[in-house]
Amino acid sequence: MTETRVPRGGKVRLGALAGDLRVERDSQIEVEGALAVSGRARFEGDAEVRGDMECGSFRSEDGTVRVRGHLFVVEDLETHDGAVEVEGELKARHVDADRGLTVQGAAAAETFDVGGRLEGAQTLAAKKVSVGGKFRLAGKLTADTVEAGGSVDLREVDLETLEVGGVVRLAGGVVRSSIEVGGKFSSDAPIEFGKIEVGGIAQFHETAKGGDIEAGGMMSADRDLTFEDLEIGGLGTIGGNGKGRNVEVGGRFTVRGSLEITGKLEVGGQISVGELLTGNSAEVGGTIEARKAVFASDAEIGGAVVTREGFKAARISLGRKSRATGPLVGGRIEIDTRARAEDLYGDTVELGDKAEARRVVARRVSLGEGASAAEVVYTETLELKAGASVRSPPQKVATLPAFPL
Amino acid sequence: MLNDSPGSPRRREVSDLYATVLEVVKRYHGAARITRISYGAGMPVDRLRNFVERLQSLGLLRSEEVDGRPVYDITPRGQEFLDTYWKMRGYIEVLEQPPDPDRRGVRRR
Repeated sequence: MTETRVPRGGKVRLGALAGDLRVERDSQIEVEGALAVSGRARFEGDAEVRGDMECGSFRSEDGTVRVRGHLFVVEDLETHDGAVEVEGELKARHVDADRGLTVQGAAAAETFDVGGRLEGAQTLAAKKVSVGGKFRLAGKLTADTVEAGGSVDLREVDLETLEVGGVVRLAGGVVRSSIEVGGKFSSDAPIEFGKIEVGGIAQFHETAKGGDIEAGGMMSADRDLTFEDLEIGGLGTIGGNGKGRNVEVGGRFTVRGSLEITGKLEVGGQISVGELLTGNSAEVGGTIEARKAVFASDAEIGGAVVTREGFKAARISLGRKSRATGPLVGGRIEIDTRARAEDLYGDTVELGDKAEARRVVARRVSLGEGASAAEVVYTETLELKAGASVRSPPQKVATLPAFPL
Repeated sequence: MLNDSPGSPRRREVSDLYATVLEVVKRYHGAARITRISYGAGMPVDRLRNFVERLQSLGLLRSEEVDGRPVYDITPRGQEFLDTYWKMRGYIEVLEQPPDPDRRGVRRR
């Protein structure tokens, strides 16, 4: 096959070429119509193509090749210790660039494998995108898998998986399967995802809807968040409403609206919900705050319960020296030693030694040693251990008054 | 690296550089060449070699010869380092933020 050679520092004018093209360093090619190379195009060092280019395959090494037009490669585009800059569109079967690739127009290939930096000013479509360093795209990204070692800055995405070592910032879109980010993830527009795992910080600035969410350090959602299992190592905040299955937060969890879960709530520190909190069960090491909280089964609180309208569960257990502000309503309520509560409504209410309550309304009531209540209303039994006291005379009634909640 | 976003530059510390190298290596699934790591991590090859040697000596990276050239892969211990590093970076960023001024608890009024 014939080869057309452009010598080092050469300035030539080329159009359609049968055969291969070899371009030595520091060359410029003026284009007649389009530079159409039927075979391979090989660049050795820096070069510039001043117009559109088509070729069977493209290879460059040790320099930057600038194409000041579209670049269409039938087979593969490969750079070795080099970079490629395309001012128009780029199409190729596979793209493998060692140092970097910049595309001003739309880019499409089956695979993009870039060692350093991949930048695009418009859309990019591929099956797989792998970038060692940074990946920045101003248009929509459509791909099956995207991997990057460094940071990623994207607009709208339509992906199956996204895996990034450092920092991800994207406008929004869909990631159907999974998002895995080492450091920090943030989305600025509504996003849907299969599941997301972030080592450091996850931030959703608009609505987010997905499966499991796992954040090692902190998660914040400025608006509504829908999830399956939510696991946060440190701090979590939801600016709108939260809806999901299970929640596990190591530190503090704040929800400005309501939080509705169907499973278990586990919070190591403190949870604060501005409106309604519902779930199946709760285990809170510190404080739980809500306008109203309702759990279908057990609730164990180590520190404090603070509600305006009440806290209801099939079984409520308040830890030693804990505090309850607002009524507690349950099947069985256990208030541990030296704990203090306000009004308690239940089938069975047990106050531990030296525990205190204001009003106790239950079928069966038991006050431990030194425990006290201001008022007790019961239907079946009242047990007072040594030193226990009720300020007003206990009232045994036929029917208990209606419970709140 | 957590602040690796426009408008919030943070000087990379040594631990950030080690994490960056490991993340780049991880992306290549056992086939990371030194030049690719160099471009990905934004670090010259001669400096990178010192980092790679240190990571290997700590058991965070391993290498093997493929076609006469070394290629690198992250070890389970290296992955453990990354998990811990990112979690710690997340906590540090949280701790360095000022307290939320409008945190609205439902304290009894």
